[in-house]
Amino acid sequence: MKTYKQPSTVGRFGEFGGMYVSETLMPLLLNLDKSYKKIQKDKKFKKELNDLFKNYVGRPSSLHFAKNLSKYINGPKVYFKRDELNHTGAHKINNCLGQILLAKKMGKTRIIAETGAGQHGVATATVCALFGLPCYIYMGSKDIERQKPNVFRMKLLGATIIPVESGSKSLKDAMNEALRDWIKNVRDTFYIIGSTAGPHPYPKMVRDFQSVIGKEAREQILKVEKKLPDYLIACVGGGSNAMGLFYPFLNDKKVKIIGVEAAGRGAKTEETAATMTSGTPGILHGSYSYVLQDNDGQIKEAHSISAGLDYPGVGPEHSHLKDIKRVKYFGVTDKEALEAFQTCSKLEGIIPALEPSHALAYLIKAFKNKHKNKLVILNMCGRGDKDLFTAAKAIGFDADE
Amino acid sequence: MNNLDTLPKKKILSLFMTCGFPTLSQSKKIFNEMLSHQPDVIEFGLPFSDPMADGPIIQEANKLALSSNLSTQQSLNLIKELSKSKNNTSFVIMCYLNTVRKFGVDKFIKNIKNIVDGIIIVDLPFEEESEIKKSLSKNNIHLIKLISPMTDKKRAQKLLKDSKGFIYYISATGITGSNKLDYKEINKNVKSLKKMSKIPVLVGFGIKSKKDVLEISKKTNADGVIIGSALIQKYFDLKMDINKYLIALKKLIKEVKV
Repeated sequence: MKTYKQPSTVGRFGEFGGMYVSETLMPLLLNLDKSYKKIQKDKKFKKELNDLFKNYVGRPSSLHFAKNLSKYINGPKVYFKRDELNHTGAHKINNCLGQILLAKKMGKTRIIAETGAGQHGVATATVCALFGLPCYIYMGSKDIERQKPNVFRMKLLGATIIPVESGSKSLKDAMNEALRDWIKNVRDTFYIIGSTAGPHPYPKMVRDFQSVIGKEAREQILKVEKKLPDYLIACVGGGSNAMGLFYPFLNDKKVKIIGVEAAGRGAKTEETAATMTSGTPGILHGSYSYVLQDNDGQIKEAHSISAGLDYPGVGPEHSHLKDIKRVKYFGVTDKEALEAFQTCSKLEGIIPALEPSHALAYLIKAFKNKHKNKLVILNMCGRGDKDLFTAAKAIGFDADE
Repeated sequence: MNNLDTLPKKKILSLFMTCGFPTLSQSKKIFNEMLSHQPDVIEFGLPFSDPMADGPIIQEANKLALSSNLSTQQSLNLIKELSKSKNNTSFVIMCYLNTVRKFGVDKFIKNIKNIVDGIIIVDLPFEEESEIKKSLSKNNIHLIKLISPMTDKKRAQKLLKDSKGFIYYISATGITGSNKLDYKEINKNVKSLKKMSKIPVLVGFGIKSKKDVLEISKKTNADGVIIGSALIQKYFDLKMDINKYLIALKKLIKEVKV
């Protein structure tokens, strides 16, 4: 394999990616691209961001040897990259800090964002509070219902939440509304996209800000194990935590990489969010990548118990990595994820979010009694506090008792 | 022969309507009503599940049209049928790229050749257009350009180089929380566009009434207007009563045809 160097200057990862937006947004994206290129070379920006990572987020996040889980699987040695320990409880904050610093540099005075599970919404509301900028969060009404703790968090942080009633009332529709808001308020508004999706330069920018995860993990594993891992595993919705972990390892040919999608009630059913297992290439939210769509190109509604993975698209870079076979993608059902959610809580004393529970479920299923003496790093990208009600309901536990 | 090449010089009227809205058979009636007024241009919106550049009214129209499983082929057949009585009216399709790609670009063009004069692909920017533009121009279909208040002069020049048909100037952008038209800004930008290109400049987005049409014509240098959401809004105002709607539509079109 040649050295991995994506995207191209026009925002292409192989044939995927690009900028498919109306002319109202095009000049903004080009301007954003230019500004982003500029700050990448800006030492002051880097210093500011690193300082926030260290003192505000609590980076580097630790690399924890999950001894009990490893024993249970009876296979590889499993390490958790613990981004769930970050301030705000997930990896999302890494990207939000990067983008809000950029927004400040560009002189923007109003921040908008979309959110599914609410983790990106909370992270955005957090950085807006820190930097004193007004914050508007678009969130599907279905997600507002199932992620109540995060809704309250965002309100406490001073954000305005705008419920989205259109379509499936979840992440996809929230993103449509946020894009509409941006089109209407192009002059003063910065749109903080939370995933490696959307038009260029977002997929690249979000990946770059998140790649701190992989950079740290690489150093940490080399330090404790004196070698690179054999496997990386992360869950993939839009794909930001996965790209963050994977990117710094893409040139390490021996490291096998696995992305785990949410298959809902099954990848072959209509109730799935496993875009790369069940989807075909198409255009959604300004980018060409795998999407769940019908024969006429109408985007289907996704389904997953995890609001953060409930998205009918996926980042263009994941689409590319799938096609060049650098990363393998698998689906995990709601049921399997819920089981792993409980197993991990009991064995490791870590309550994972439902998103990484998908990655855990795949690990437990595929590595059980196999791959002994191998090393695995799994991205524990979020903690499960926000999912307690959803999980309790699904498991059949009466939380009021 | 492309009807867009012989548009009148001034007061051009373009009417937008979503195909298959609210149902396929009622949609036929609506377009026939529109056609009977012989507007200069009719824009046929192809419904898309995620019309991110459209407002809530057109989104709702798309949703209604798609709720009866309308296919792209049915929309194109409808346009073909209507074209028998198109006379001098230019037919323009307005759609999202995924609809065209999934249908197949060549197959799509084959279906609309000699029927449709122009196409607006909302989410296909200049940077991504070259291949499709070539195929379209081979078949004498003009790729209509959108220009927004955010498009600066240098970019506009690039976009409008050898553009055909008309220029779609998006008027109501960047005005936070209001739909008020900023005539001064529109006039300034339209004037600058007219220096760059010889084709007509039509102003669209946020034009609702006879008053708006007259103001655009009086206060700006634009060659015409595009009315869309306002035509569809009436249907919801009238509690989705199709018979009342057809009467109201006739009245509204007569009013804006100044």
